[in-house]
Amino acid sequence: METRQVIETRGVRKTFRDFWRRPVVEAVKDLNLSVARGEVFGLLGPNGSGKSTTLKMLLGLLRPTAGTIRVLDAPPQALQARARIGYLPEISHLHPFLTPRETLRYYASLFGLGRRETERRTEELLEMVDLTQAADRAVGRFSKGMARRVGLAQALMNAPELLILDEPTSGLDPLGARAVKDLVRTLAGAGVTVLMTSHLLADVEDVCDRVAILDCGALCAEGRTDDLLRQPDAVRFEIEGMDDAAAREARSALETRFGRPVRQSYPSLTLERYFLQVVADGRTSDAFRLAPFLLGPQPDPEPSGGAPCATA
Amino acid sequence: MRNGLIPFLRQTGGTLRLAAHSMLRTRTIAAVLVLLAACVGLLPRAVQGDGTPSGDIQILLQYTLGFAFFILCLATLWSACALLAAEIDSRRIHLTVVKPVRPISLWLGRWLALLVIQAALLAVIYLGTYAQLHWRMRQDGWCPADRPASRRVTRPLLPSPSEEARAILASMHANGTRPQGVSDAAILRTLETRAREKFDVVNPDQDVRWRFRLGRPLQPGEPLTVRLRFDSEYSTREHVRGVCRIWPEAYPERVVEHRLNDFTLNEIALPVDTRAFSDAAGHDPEGLRTFVLVFRHVGETRRVSALMLRFRQDVALLTAGGSFEANLARAALLQWAVLALLAAFGLTLSACFSLPVAAFVATLTLVLTLLGHAVVRTVSVEEEQAWRNRVGIWVSRGISSITSRAVQAEPLTSLTRGERIESDRIGETLIWNALLLPLGLAGMGVLMLRHREWADTESCGKDHT
Repeated sequence: METRQVIETRGVRKTFRDFWRRPVVEAVKDLNLSVARGEVFGLLGPNGSGKSTTLKMLLGLLRPTAGTIRVLDAPPQALQARARIGYLPEISHLHPFLTPRETLRYYASLFGLGRRETERRTEELLEMVDLTQAADRAVGRFSKGMARRVGLAQALMNAPELLILDEPTSGLDPLGARAVKDLVRTLAGAGVTVLMTSHLLADVEDVCDRVAILDCGALCAEGRTDDLLRQPDAVRFEIEGMDDAAAREARSALETRFGRPVRQSYPSLTLERYFLQVVADGRTSDAFRLAPFLLGPQPDPEPSGGAPCATA
Repeated sequence: MRNGLIPFLRQTGGTLRLAAHSMLRTRTIAAVLVLLAACVGLLPRAVQGDGTPSGDIQILLQYTLGFAFFILCLATLWSACALLAAEIDSRRIHLTVVKPVRPISLWLGRWLALLVIQAALLAVIYLGTYAQLHWRMRQDGWCPADRPASRRVTRPLLPSPSEEARAILASMHANGTRPQGVSDAAILRTLETRAREKFDVVNPDQDVRWRFRLGRPLQPGEPLTVRLRFDSEYSTREHVRGVCRIWPEAYPERVVEHRLNDFTLNEIALPVDTRAFSDAAGHDPEGLRTFVLVFRHVGETRRVSALMLRFRQDVALLTAGGSFEANLARAALLQWAVLALLAAFGLTLSACFSLPVAAFVATLTLVLTLLGHAVVRTVSVEEEQAWRNRVGIWVSRGISSITSRAVQAEPLTSLTRGERIESDRIGETLIWNALLLPLGLAGMGVLMLRHREWADTESCGKDHT
């Protein structure tokens, strides 16, 4: 019986040592984190705060100096856990001499997928990230954004239950970034748990249900995004179809009623939304159409190699 | 099923394809191909032979194949070092190791890719060399006797070098001539090395007698050759005058006699008319299995110096041993096994170190292996006693004993001499060089891959300093 928590860390510390095993820096200090199934969780912090180290410990790339980590009810190094995780690193680190199709086939082979299933998923993912036309060009000649799309496709090859994204919108244009954020929300809707880090706080605010903020290796804040960002003693009203005179009248009435100054402002679009309106003209709607195999369990024609699909 | 054999094979196959792509789609393979083509195509034209077919065979088989193999060894070692280490250094490995893949698949897939590419390159080298050999045979109109052959070699039945060394040591003890201040083990080691390489002396008017046991009974009429390789005291040409007599041990009356009167430095091959043994074969086919050879050095004692030859190496009976082409394939198989070992060594180094360190250690080991064998061959008991030499000799001896199986696999000398490479030698080489030693190295590599931390800990640490 699996628990509701997909990621659980208890008292995790990581100390980096030099060649002589002397401690150089304590990158993570006594970290306690829990991420529930289906959540989109954001890990924030300035440079050197321990975000990358935490991610790498969750992926089993680094071992904690102390404490315990459970990912999908198993230690991070366990093969059964790794079979259910998708990972997109900050820099894609793809093999430059492989084409996107070969890249996806290679990662499919690491999941033990059969030939037919590999071909199906590869084609669907290439279509999803809009790389079908460039599927047979070497990845080394791709722009950063295109390489990022290949990276994203490989992260989804096993229809993961947990998706770990390190700066997922880095290197993408606003259209691509929007598409990735939409994809994250869609995947979360399909039951996939997402853990992401980003320096772009607006991105995190857009997509994350909960966030944790790290600084100097320690957890400084954690909670639901709405709760953390809410100003508890302030209220904002937005009224459409009101002219300046009516607004002035309403503000003075409120000031009289509560006996304190009331700030008046005019809501504006975010630059991202304005850009999408002007440039994209609605094109984002079909940029990353979810690959069919990610939508739910389907009969596996080759049961020997199938990886679990996320439940819709 | 995810932990079963089929996913494991798929993972290994995927890794194999990736490694093959990474080697074939880089300029390294083009550079290696150019070097090999230059070696196979140009070297035989650049090196002048002595004008004889055997000289041409030596240049084509020993020098060309030897040099091409050396290039292939270096290419294999460095490619193997790069296959894992470069991926680790560039952090591309992160995307791989977060997948449910076992370290053995990562190691094995790359090793198999190297084996496949090495086999293809070796085939190209050997086919190129064989084509040149054929072209030369036609161009120069070699007679059938000059053509490269493959013959079984049977050496005389003699005590092994270690038995001989023990007997000499026992006699030293009995006579009180044992050197002082040296351990018995050191003396035995030296005596054994000397027994392998020692020259025996045949003085004028002296008879030497050897017994041979063939692998299978000789058929009457089947070609049989006596091969003797003489040397002289000053490595100069020596006029060999002698009488060579050979007969089946069971039928001493069936003697075939040859008179030698040859001004040569090295090899004398005497074809034996085996029809003389035909009656003997009628009685008992097994009777044509054990032979006795007697060589008598004749000549005036004052004018002719003693002849020298190493009984263990320079005296042999040659019988039919299959086609030359099959022997060529056997030689390629032996070299492939050595390349398999080098690939395994390079891969394991690359699992432990970064690319520059792995390549440095690999090259250093190669050089130390070559030096170590030379040191072990030439070191004397006196040199071993000097304390300043001891560490070097111990290191050389250690490296030599570890790498002896790889070095002993060298097939080109046998190929050039037309000696059949025997199946037991191939089997032993394949088992050790292409299976057991790589298995041990794979174990070390897997252990390292399993226990190492993948993230660049140094750069992680720098973020916080």
